[in-house]
Amino acid sequence: MSAPRVVVSGLGFVTSIGNDQRTVATSLRELRSGIERVDFLPGTDLPVKVVGTLKGFDTAAAQWPGWTWPEGYTFPRDLLRGMAPHGLYALCATEQLIADAKLTANELTADDTGMFCASAGSPRMLRQFVNQIHDSCGARIPPMGVVSTIAGTLNFNLAAHYGVRGAVAGFVSACASATQALGYACDEIKLGRQRRVLVIGGEDVNFESIFPFHGMRALSRNPDPARASRPFDRARDGFVGTGGSAALLLEEAEAAQGRGAPIYAELVGWGQSADGYNVANSDPDGRGLAVAMQRALASAHVAPAEIDYINAHATSTPVGDASEARALHTVFTSGGAHPAISSTKALTGHGLSFSGAMETAFCALALRDGFTPGAANLDDPDPVCEGLNLPRATLPTGPRMVLKNSSGFGGSNVCLVLRRWEN
Amino acid sequence: MINAPVAQKRVQESLVGFPPRVTSSYLAFAESGDLTNLDVVVLGVLQFYLAKKPAVPLEEMAGTTRLVEDLGCDSLTMMDTVFMVETLFDIKLDDTELTQLGTLDELRAHLRRHVQGHTASAA
Repeated sequence: MSAPRVVVSGLGFVTSIGNDQRTVATSLRELRSGIERVDFLPGTDLPVKVVGTLKGFDTAAAQWPGWTWPEGYTFPRDLLRGMAPHGLYALCATEQLIADAKLTANELTADDTGMFCASAGSPRMLRQFVNQIHDSCGARIPPMGVVSTIAGTLNFNLAAHYGVRGAVAGFVSACASATQALGYACDEIKLGRQRRVLVIGGEDVNFESIFPFHGMRALSRNPDPARASRPFDRARDGFVGTGGSAALLLEEAEAAQGRGAPIYAELVGWGQSADGYNVANSDPDGRGLAVAMQRALASAHVAPAEIDYINAHATSTPVGDASEARALHTVFTSGGAHPAISSTKALTGHGLSFSGAMETAFCALALRDGFTPGAANLDDPDPVCEGLNLPRATLPTGPRMVLKNSSGFGGSNVCLVLRRWEN
Repeated sequence: MINAPVAQKRVQESLVGFPPRVTSSYLAFAESGDLTNLDVVVLGVLQFYLAKKPAVPLEEMAGTTRLVEDLGCDSLTMMDTVFMVETLFDIKLDDTELTQLGTLDELRAHLRRHVQGHTASAA
């Protein structure tokens, strides 16, 4: 018996370019940026001036009672008290996902419905939590301190809240986390262990979650929100951070069709590798990423020439983008394949642990709606990109086959192959 | 007793998002020391943290209303309430004593004793 086909059958977004599917799709088509100037620490002059902001959310207050979010979402207080800011974002994205996927309560709580999450935890909440314990000499320990702060906070809270009874896990391979979660969710379904898996990524967006990356000089110091995130451009000087959440439902194709769920795309295969090179920097030759791409293509039984669009990991760092460009040459250009390539981080900023979920969801929209996001902010491509097909504007034609790349600290590389849904 | 500037600071740091009646009663207590305002703050904080919103405000409920059985006040709700009250009034509450509080009247009386005792010792 052949393995079941796996499809994307629901989406939810809380991103810098939109908090609903329609706004996100419009932003992608029209290359609208979600990046704005911010003052992380009022009264200081930090060298990092821009971030991909979330509109309609205010989570600046220390605790949830002071947070606000867009109308239309109602959450019980006993849920919010265990949540970090990105827990709130993830709740909103998951509510959208459940409605979009037409998931019933019975389906959500079925034994073969799982949930995989990607989150780096909440540095802000952790700082507050630990400070409170220190300041009180151990006398005052917020009871929900652990579950609201550590890296599993999303899967702890969301799985319990929604009554998930299938496989539940958290992924912590930094910026490759959510893509890896999608890959393993795909395997769970193909192996017949789960019928569907909700895959949810989330990140805070505040001083504590973003600014520490300046310690390794990974952030752009360009103060112009329209120009700071410029993947593959010669003038790139680092990434622009962002937070939010994206949620996808992966499901057996037959089950999704049987429920009348919307089918955005098929997840055909995936591959992963590690650089074996450096804790933070990519291997300059891009060897590891090339291996991951080749494994993904082999897993999907797809030739490089069949890929129409690549949603690159490219975060706008000098070393990382060059490494990915070389990997793309190795797998595609050197063999005569010239798929369109763009990094949508030019619009959103880099969503760290949740970027792979966000960008895979973007690919799903592109596959269903028939457009190919252009490479925004790319004025003067790095010479290493010579020969890569980097369309500056969004193409009105949609891809049939898409490759999504992600890389994370420690050299983890994860790639997914998605195909336009054809029954 | 906490003074007005300190109370203003705590409102901005700790009471963001709480109902205006809790905030105004807290400031009024800082100003006058009137214990009825303290009661409003304590019950308002508890009500805010309760997982299930009560049908009527706690202030309007009988003093014999039971915290656990009638209001569904679990240990997490009680800890959130205690931490907030400790922060607002500069007091330290004993865990063992708290577990013996069964009703709204007992909670009010316990907090009155502590806050008054703290005020007296501070004076």
